[in-house]
Amino acid sequence: MNYVFDNERPIYVQLVEMLRIEIASGTLKKGERIPSVRELALMARVNPNTMQKALAELEDEKLVYTERTNGKFVTNDEKLLKQVKQELAKQQVSHYLEGMKQLGINQEEAIQYLQELGGK
Amino acid sequence: MELLECKQLSKEFDQKQILKNINLKIPRGKIIGLLGKNGAGKTTLIKLINDLLVPTSGEVLIHGEKPNVNSKKIISYLPERTYLDKSMTISQVFDYFEDFYDNFDRKKAEQLLNDLKLQLTTRISKMSKGMQEKLQLILVMSREAELYILDEPLGGVDPATRDYILDTILSNFKEGSSVIISTHLISDIERILDEVIFMNEGQIVLTSSADELRNKEKASIDEIFRRCFKC
Amino acid sequence: MLGKLLKYDLKWNYKPLLVFYGLAILFSLMARGLSEIENSLLFTIIGQICYAVSIAMMINIIINNLMRCWARMVRNVYKDESYLTHTLPVRKKDIFSAKVLAGIITMFTSILVIFICLFISYYSPENMNGLKLALTTMSSTIGMQTSLFVAIFIGIVFLEFVFMLISGYLGIILGHRSNNQKVIKSIIFGFLAFMVMSITSVLILFIMALFNQEIMNLFNTVAEPSADTLRFLIYGGSTLYIIYIIIYYFLGNKLLKKGINVD
Repeated sequence: MNYVFDNERPIYVQLVEMLRIEIASGTLKKGERIPSVRELALMARVNPNTMQKALAELEDEKLVYTERTNGKFVTNDEKLLKQVKQELAKQQVSHYLEGMKQLGINQEEAIQYLQELGGK
Repeated sequence: MELLECKQLSKEFDQKQILKNINLKIPRGKIIGLLGKNGAGKTTLIKLINDLLVPTSGEVLIHGEKPNVNSKKIISYLPERTYLDKSMTISQVFDYFEDFYDNFDRKKAEQLLNDLKLQLTTRISKMSKGMQEKLQLILVMSREAELYILDEPLGGVDPATRDYILDTILSNFKEGSSVIISTHLISDIERILDEVIFMNEGQIVLTSSADELRNKEKASIDEIFRRCFKC
Repeated sequence: MLGKLLKYDLKWNYKPLLVFYGLAILFSLMARGLSEIENSLLFTIIGQICYAVSIAMMINIIINNLMRCWARMVRNVYKDESYLTHTLPVRKKDIFSAKVLAGIITMFTSILVIFICLFISYYSPENMNGLKLALTTMSSTIGMQTSLFVAIFIGIVFLEFVFMLISGYLGIILGHRSNNQKVIKSIIFGFLAFMVMSITSVLILFIMALFNQEIMNLFNTVAEPSADTLRFLIYGGSTLYIIYIIIYYFLGNKLLKKGINVD
């Protein structure tokens, strides 16, 4: 994962988005132990406090849970993971359609484009 | 007791006010950007904290005490100039730090030195200014301090060095301690900041959490700073 | 911490001094060795040159010793290195004390080396007897034991240099309190510090002369003062030097304690 940040938005919000994708995509595997805050912060080259904040947010979303002594783990809840993945996919699709709309391309045509490109 | 507090701190040189009535509290466990243009008074403030200048009025308190032996034990300071005795070798400099600072971790320093491919036997006078600056960063970050004060650590370095410096800071500052980084190159550093302090013409014009400020203004700290101090 | 500071100050001061010590002793040995070879004009000439060089070296040792100590003070306490010196967890008092002690110790060894060189260059039974005789005559005029007289004589030379040294330190401290032209001001203040106490000595002597005819005689006649007066002057002189050195030491400490403003 390459961490490139947009300085115009809070860094922790961007971290949450990035980590959510890593979890949904399985880069961070289900039930797996997450590196320590400090290690993660180093990988992302951000402040440990910011990383802490991002993980706290993910914990609120139940994507991450803390085991008292062993550190933080990715959730085991497959239903939740699926749901998150779907939400992210939906976001991508609506983002795509939004862009096509701006080009004056309607939904049907947009889907055709997708099928053509996807076939290749 | 605050880690660091400045109370109505002012500094004059030849009747010229360099710092005007600075009030400031630095909390624990934060990375703080001291941001301002050249000549805004950042270095003067830092030198006052480090007992290199005497305030004209007001005071600096570290754990509630004026700068003294105790404060120097817990502050690790990187000045913007090279301060080592050029006739020493790196190993002798390490001895020197070991002699005076109980919290200097020589093993860590040697490891960081190794990453730079520098030899312990190298004499300081044989090193380029850039290398000397990196060595000083190693020395400063190899101390287990409560407050790290880094004055313009990114002044005039190439992108690779900039990454090296930021990584060295992030991976070595002691957990729970605070870091003050002064700079006028904001975009390079803003992603690692918890808090920002804007200085201009010897005064503090704004202090805020970095993310709150981004949220409020919908812009990067760099952009906000530029807007604030448009010439 | 004083010990550690002293260690580094001594190391720095001795680095070139040891070379000069070596050279001075070497030239003294050469001068002596060459002068022992008889009936050779060439060797006599070279020998004479070596004598001249060894004397120059001895003077050089003293001047260099003073300059080196002052240079250390300026660099370590006010120039770039001060950024490290003043952020070490040590008291200002220890920083200054280390500088003063390093100066005193190096000055002591320098004077010792100079005496060794003189001994190498000029020792012979006849010279020694001549010196002994001269010293005995002088000390008996004053009414002192010869060994005590020699000790006090060397002591006064030593104190004189230490006083010069500490006047210089005080000058540097005073000069660097100002915001500009610190070097020139340091030199002026250092010179003034030296002069002030020298003039004070004369004043003290003069005031005493007002109450003591014999001391007054020192000012207005060529009559030789009595042994008692001479003894008094020698003891008084050395005591005054010690007092001046202590006063300047405390003054320097006090000024440094108020804090410094480095560039």
